[in-house]
Amino acid sequence: MNAILGFTCIVVGFAASVLGAGGGIVALRTGRTDVLRTVRQWAWIVVGAGVGAFIVMEVALFQRDYSLTYVSSVGADDTPALFNFAALWSALEGSIILWAMILGLYIGAMLIKFRKRTDDELWGWALVVMLAVAAFFFGLMLGPAAPFTQTDVPIGFEGPGPNPLLQNHILMAFHPPMLYLGYVGFTVPFSFAAAALITGRVGEGWLVETRRWAVAAWGFLTAGIVLGAWWSYEVLNWGGYWGWDPVENASLLPWLTGTAYIHSVMVQERRGMLRVWNLSLLCATFSLTILGTFLTRSGVVESVHAFSDGGVGPWLLVFFAVIAVFCIFLIGWRGDRLSSPGSIDSPLSREASFLANNLLFGALAFVVLLGTVFPLIAEALDGSRLRVGRPYFDSMSRPIGLVILFLMAAAPVLPWRKASNELLSKRLFWPAVAGVAAMAGALLLGGRGFYPILTFGLGGFAGGAAVRQVVLASRRQGWRGFVGRTNGGMIVHVGVVLLAVGMAASESYRSDETVVLTPGESAVVEGRTFTYVEPGIENNDRVTKVFAEIDIDDEGTYAPAITNYVRIGATVATPSVRTRFTHDVFLVLDDLPSRADDTIRLRIVIRPMVMWLWIGGGLMAFGTLLALFPGKRRRGTEPVSEPIGKAGSAPTSASSTAGG
Amino acid sequence: MSVRAGTTSRRRLIGWIAIIAAVVSLLAVSVLDQGGIENDAERMQRLSESYACPVCQGQSVAESNAEVARTIRQQIRTEVQQDATDDEIRDTLISQYGGEVLLNPPAEGIGSLVWVLPVLVVVLGAAGVGAAVTGTSVLGREASDEDRRLVANARGSKPVALDHNEASTDETQDDSDSDSEVVDDEEE
Repeated sequence: MNAILGFTCIVVGFAASVLGAGGGIVALRTGRTDVLRTVRQWAWIVVGAGVGAFIVMEVALFQRDYSLTYVSSVGADDTPALFNFAALWSALEGSIILWAMILGLYIGAMLIKFRKRTDDELWGWALVVMLAVAAFFFGLMLGPAAPFTQTDVPIGFEGPGPNPLLQNHILMAFHPPMLYLGYVGFTVPFSFAAAALITGRVGEGWLVETRRWAVAAWGFLTAGIVLGAWWSYEVLNWGGYWGWDPVENASLLPWLTGTAYIHSVMVQERRGMLRVWNLSLLCATFSLTILGTFLTRSGVVESVHAFSDGGVGPWLLVFFAVIAVFCIFLIGWRGDRLSSPGSIDSPLSREASFLANNLLFGALAFVVLLGTVFPLIAEALDGSRLRVGRPYFDSMSRPIGLVILFLMAAAPVLPWRKASNELLSKRLFWPAVAGVAAMAGALLLGGRGFYPILTFGLGGFAGGAAVRQVVLASRRQGWRGFVGRTNGGMIVHVGVVLLAVGMAASESYRSDETVVLTPGESAVVEGRTFTYVEPGIENNDRVTKVFAEIDIDDEGTYAPAITNYVRIGATVATPSVRTRFTHDVFLVLDDLPSRADDTIRLRIVIRPMVMWLWIGGGLMAFGTLLALFPGKRRRGTEPVSEPIGKAGSAPTSASSTAGG
Repeated sequence: MSVRAGTTSRRRLIGWIAIIAAVVSLLAVSVLDQGGIENDAERMQRLSESYACPVCQGQSVAESNAEVARTIRQQIRTEVQQDATDDEIRDTLISQYGGEVLLNPPAEGIGSLVWVLPVLVVVLGAAGVGAAVTGTSVLGREASDEDRRLVANARGSKPVALDHNEASTDETQDDSDSDSEVVDDEEE
């Protein structure tokens, strides 16, 4: 029953998205508005089909309907409800359902938001692009990643349950949906960008229309990445939160280009410049989400996240290539309409600082992409097998990150067009004092080393500039000084600073030791005494947990464990972590206690300020929310959404020359 | 007024000099006061972070609990205690586990590309941005005389020139926009 229902959803979703996209193209090319209106109905069917497929699979998981191959591979009789719900996205086929459902939700949101724009060409093409993307994902579920195939299981089959690492922490319920909301969310601005190119209405209209969508998608992606880092820190056994794993990199890439986009888009709104560049950034962001999915779902790069290859790899690669060619073709085709009026007047200006921002984020994205795919390139070129790992990414990203922090201090105080040295020295003075104070404070607290101290200094500088903006704005505008893109953005900046400071401190001042202890024995690490009290065991049908009770002098009892998932027969180390504002203690067992005398090998990782990362991430998400609220209205006379190419483009260049 | 402005800016200049002096000396302290050269434990940590555990997925020898990672850690510890140089340790490990044991791609042969290309991209990008801000119109089109005349006609006044001094006094106008800088008068 579930199989039939689910399969029907997918067939209907595929058919409706193909018919909707096809009908839309015909209607838009022939100008038949009556046909164009039917596209909305097809689109609503796609929304229903995506949500329907999701619901059917969840129902099947909760009914333990093992006649579905997917449920029989990730479901189990005794998986707790939350992890059973999350089991939907614990393997390839289900994760495509999640993708299709979220794409459906975005299409639904667009249909509601733009419901009055039925006959508008730009909107029509945007919807066609959305439906074409939906057709691809529903198509995947018809072929290589079919989630509703059936199987026979023996009577009494109780299911293996999801991968052990995906069923032992609550964050698994939130991290993937957040990430997908971010990934898929960029399809919306992409579809409008493509529509703008197709219709030739490449002025700033499409961009103003979609800027909130882009910011929202960016916020989801940010939250998803930070939650993923948190999850890996709490669950995996290596005591870190970011390992430059290909999947982490794949989520970071669209985040980097997306970050560049939401900054440079302001230059276009304000000055009408950088049209080609912004379109390219959006295309890059969208295609990188597909490339990232390809890299991690096809098994071409090794990764802790890689699902088994269900044959989707080639399809994703082809889709990526189609998008890339489509974008390059469109931008080339409309090249003549994309030249923009005006130019940048001075390197000391807001727009120049946004260009520098884009250069840095572009460079970082390039480093991450190159490092991720380089093993493949090297092997293809001369057969050499090599790795690109953490030391490479660290040493390349650190200087870029520091320059970004510097820019975060300088850019918010810069006016558009041109600043004088006098102005800069006035506005940057107190932020610079904050930076010096941060450095001095860190030194007094015992911090040493060039990179961390410089990071704290630049962090204080950037944080000071952000706080200055919010304080001045709220003094003038009251509570509105905290909302709107500029002020919300400054809250995001404060979050970034906390994140950077937490990262620098927790990486630089980490201690990591492995000690061998017998029951009753103690070890002293970093001035703390770790006493191994005794081993213990917890049993239930699902897991067997062997733990070691460890007393730390002033911090209570920890219980790092080795957990065996009985059904799968897999054993994972379960760390015991406590997060405090100043420092974290992370304990993990290397092995089961020895049979002879219960000796354990205990790894003790102590890191300062890890909590700052999670606070910073939370602040970034909160700042994004504030940025989505409307700030003070723009004057209607500004030439932001004027189409160009009409009337010899004179009005546009005129108003920007006049200093608007 | 101008006298007062003069003293303010001189005071601020002194402030900036103090800030720069403080930054330089604080950085100097942070580098010099690190307890001298690397001790064995630190060296051991640094080295084991730069080799890959051969059976893991991208984890370093330092992070992994795998048997072989422990063996390599032990081996590095022994060699560090015997005062082997970094290069000697590297060569031994490569001879035993192959080039894949390096987490940092080698800066030779094809591996050098991964180091050189990003630098190239940054240099080219910086040149592009530089060209854009110095007025060489890569990304934008200058307003032509024709455009200026149209503006002038529309305004019914003399032609507008791109006057940079005017631009810097733009703040009040900037201020009317939510995305722009706030007024600074109240700071003084």
